[in-house]
Amino acid sequence: MAVNILISGLISGSMYALLAIGFSLIFGVARIVNIAHTGFYMLAAYCIFFITEKMGLNPVTAMVAAVILVTLMGLIVYMLFIKPIREHEAAVLIGTIALAIAMQEVMLLLFGGSFRSVPSLIGGYFVLLGVKVFYQQLLTFIVVLLALAAIWILLMKTRLGLAVRSTAEDREVANLMGMNESRVTMIAMGISVGLAALTGAVVVPLTIVSPFMWTDPLIIMMAVVVLGGLGSIKGSFVGAYMMGFAEALVVFLIPKGAFLKGPVALSVMILVLLIRPEGLFGVAFEEER
Amino acid sequence: MKKITFGGVVLMAVCLVMGMTFPSWGANVIKIGVIGPMQFMQGKGHWNGALMAADEINGKGGIQVGNKKMKIQLVKADSNEFLNITDATNAMQRIITRDKVDFIVGGFRSEAVLAMQDIAMDYKKIFIDCGAAAPELCQKVADDYGRYKYFFRGTPFNSLYLARTCFIQMGTVGAILKKALGIPKVKVAIVGEKAMWVDPMIKAAQGLIPKMGMEVAGVWRPSQTATDVSAILAAVQSSHAQMIFTIFSASVGITFARQAGELKIPAVEVGINVEAQKDGFWQATQGKGNYVMDMNTYCRGVEYNDLTKPFVDEYVKRFGVTPTYTADTYAAIVYGLAPTIEQAGTLNADKIVSILEKRVYKTPGGRIKYMVDKEGRQTHDLTWGPGYLTSLGVQWVDGKQVGVWPYHWVAAKGAPEITYKGIVPYTIPPWVIKAYKK
Amino acid sequence: MGAIGFYLRKLYSIFRGEILVLPSRVAVLLFFLFVLLFPVISSDPYLLRIMILTNIFAILAASWDLLSGFTGQLNFGHALFFGVGAYTAALLNLHFHIPPWGSIPLGALGAVLAGLIIGIPCLRLRGTYLALTTLAFPIILLGIVYAVPDLTGGELGISGFARLSHSHVANYYITGLLMLGLCTIMWKITDSNTGIIFHAIREDELAVRTAGINTTRYKLLAFCLSGFFAGISGGLYAHFMRIAGPSTLEVSMSFTVVIWGVFGGLATIYGPVAAVFILFPMLEFLQFWSEYRTLMFAAIILLILLYMPEGLLPWIRDKIEKECPRCKLRNAAVRKTCRACTASLD
Repeated sequence: MAVNILISGLISGSMYALLAIGFSLIFGVARIVNIAHTGFYMLAAYCIFFITEKMGLNPVTAMVAAVILVTLMGLIVYMLFIKPIREHEAAVLIGTIALAIAMQEVMLLLFGGSFRSVPSLIGGYFVLLGVKVFYQQLLTFIVVLLALAAIWILLMKTRLGLAVRSTAEDREVANLMGMNESRVTMIAMGISVGLAALTGAVVVPLTIVSPFMWTDPLIIMMAVVVLGGLGSIKGSFVGAYMMGFAEALVVFLIPKGAFLKGPVALSVMILVLLIRPEGLFGVAFEEER
Repeated sequence: MKKITFGGVVLMAVCLVMGMTFPSWGANVIKIGVIGPMQFMQGKGHWNGALMAADEINGKGGIQVGNKKMKIQLVKADSNEFLNITDATNAMQRIITRDKVDFIVGGFRSEAVLAMQDIAMDYKKIFIDCGAAAPELCQKVADDYGRYKYFFRGTPFNSLYLARTCFIQMGTVGAILKKALGIPKVKVAIVGEKAMWVDPMIKAAQGLIPKMGMEVAGVWRPSQTATDVSAILAAVQSSHAQMIFTIFSASVGITFARQAGELKIPAVEVGINVEAQKDGFWQATQGKGNYVMDMNTYCRGVEYNDLTKPFVDEYVKRFGVTPTYTADTYAAIVYGLAPTIEQAGTLNADKIVSILEKRVYKTPGGRIKYMVDKEGRQTHDLTWGPGYLTSLGVQWVDGKQVGVWPYHWVAAKGAPEITYKGIVPYTIPPWVIKAYKK
Repeated sequence: MGAIGFYLRKLYSIFRGEILVLPSRVAVLLFFLFVLLFPVISSDPYLLRIMILTNIFAILAASWDLLSGFTGQLNFGHALFFGVGAYTAALLNLHFHIPPWGSIPLGALGAVLAGLIIGIPCLRLRGTYLALTTLAFPIILLGIVYAVPDLTGGELGISGFARLSHSHVANYYITGLLMLGLCTIMWKITDSNTGIIFHAIREDELAVRTAGINTTRYKLLAFCLSGFFAGISGGLYAHFMRIAGPSTLEVSMSFTVVIWGVFGGLATIYGPVAAVFILFPMLEFLQFWSEYRTLMFAAIILLILLYMPEGLLPWIRDKIEKECPRCKLRNAAVRKTCRACTASLD
């Protein structure tokens, strides 16, 4: 049983980590709460569905194409709808909500409301410590770790990463220091959407594709980000696995109450916030004067 | 300027809408409202069934009402009930007061139908529910007949009978397993999604399974939208259950079937799995949902009576998919409303109600007779049983749905044995045979 | 006779001097008249039903603005108050047979309690943390609702309790008068000392604390007031629809309230009310295009945000009124000179 919890927690934690890091990144850099983040995840899922089912191409091509397409779409959407209203945080908030709803409706129109699915990249399963694990789950886990490593290297070891981090810390001073703040924001947006698309590409064979699939991950993702501390990549990483394990614990220890995994995870988040209002690794923001 | 253009556009839009929704005064048409979640399969089924019915009746010239023939005009209303109850009640209100419909068929989500029922009863319009199984709906008819008598259930039979039927199917499969695999006592794992309608079924199952000579291996309740049930499957496997009694209505039905098939869990799935009723199930499970058995109303190739095949074939020809039970709006109109109106000779709701509730008539799904409860009160609920409505047990075999129940089924001592035309024997998944055949 | 004439003339001069002077006040007057006289214009039950729901949701939107617009504590879980108010009113009515005029205020008190429960953890949170945390509460309550279906009716919700009143017109006047009354009260609150403190808390909480004001008390007060009005809205909804179900707690309800609030203009009270009156009937009238309806709704929101990021009503207000540069008094935009200090307005 403990092995089950470990594996299940790792898998769902990895998915939340990927999503949360993208979300946290764009928030840290540009203070944009992108409610449509999981919407892009859904777009990538449908892209893959379309390419594999209707066009008949192989899943790997579909994944690559989906990530590229969705990232491009994300950038276009950002330029058209979010950039002009960036100064008004509240407007950005409901703008992204409206975007997410629009994405949902377009998917509903194009593909209908029935549930779809996408073939696994690698079918079958293996047995680890007495527990059956799907190869696809293992793949997800590996890809997540690779993506996280890539992001870490990008942020810590490259000049671009330096620019992103300093813009996240203090936008105005970064501007003064000669970094083109709006370009950095755009790049951060691209990375963020790309991560969401990658999550979709990797996770989607394990899940059901429907126009409403963006709402459930959204809530847990936001809880993860809050738990870990807004703007902190490390925090999102830790928070994601905490949430993943919390959910796994509920599912295994209370089989009759498996549906409560969402509310329990959220309660964990609230408890942590009561003790540490900035989240685990968050920086207490000084209110800008 | 922007303000004027914006305001002007809104004004124009409102005028346009008002004009378009202006009710048309057709004195010689019977207006039937079809209300359902039109963006989803269930609502599409509502509409398609009604469309077929209207075309068939209008093709014959219409319904004879007294001394004139009146054609049917359908009014489509998207209740959006999966997402928004307010929308559903608004839609019901609109078709009654704006479009001035005479009858209403449709409805799916029980919470929404409860609200819509009230509105229809306010205006004394006959409302035939074609989708919600909650017994409460017909309980209201018994408790307050004067107000609720205009409500009839068209399909399915209520959830208590739903439970009874799937228990029978479970018992049948249990017996097959016992005989074919030589298992002394079949173990059953109960897996039901977390939803209110499932709770009484689980309780009933826990009581009935021992009485059927089987054993309950455990109870699991995944969330309706669960995307990973491998944990539950692992637990089911370690409980050595040979049969999984599924109670699913939402997407978890797909996830469960797919993962169970992929992991080749040595247990058969039988029970309720609404997603498995749809033709798209095979793709949704990537072909892994093989040998899943579930309750369904219609299946290509299976006939309840001589009306079934023409209905199913025509539906498949016209819409490309097998009808699900919400398409029984066809039966509600063609066999329920139309003959009753002709018999009554008028569109008066009270008269039609008093005739309809006494009728016993054949439909593509069986035979409809409205139930009277223990105290002798009319409930307008559907009678279940051999000779009336039993629905089918359907199994997915290599990409196709085949009917496997009732197969030599004897409902009670002394009752006739029933096997509908087109029913074939149940298939045990090969990996289950391999796991147990010593 | 003379006395009546005197008072009538006084009324008229007040009318001309205070209300007719500013286009925004005229608009408010027209709005009041519209709401009060609507059933005279049309007695179509379908239209009445839409307007009744609009009234109910207007109270809800205004209560959100009271909390989030004025004190800056963005509440993403406003559906919690709505749902608690609806369920409490329904339960009280069903089990204890308290009539609607009793169960609705009691339901609102239940929502106040909920406000306290979520206000206290949120005291130490700021900005986005607060927003995302408040999102969690209705979901947790939803889990509890599903976990005790015997009490709460699970997915079916609670039904079969008393209706608000027996005719659509009576329903309309109850909700309409309540809406006008409660929104006026809310507006008066924001115009009072308490309201100024709320506003100040949003701008700079630290400064307010240094001024010696107990911000904790005021922040909790904001939660409770907002909860009270939203709870009334929930109770009205339950008794009107005769069903109180989990749909009242859904995330989409919370998001819709936020959309109304920001679309109409934060920190105005009248902004969200106007937003509901525009958006809700519009969404309903778009029925003839039922597949594209929600998409158009989202598109309209996006377009409006591009052009009017502060909200619709502040934008309109800026177009029809000008502020005098010398005495800061608001004047109708068509005027060339200020009405009080005669300074040039250009």
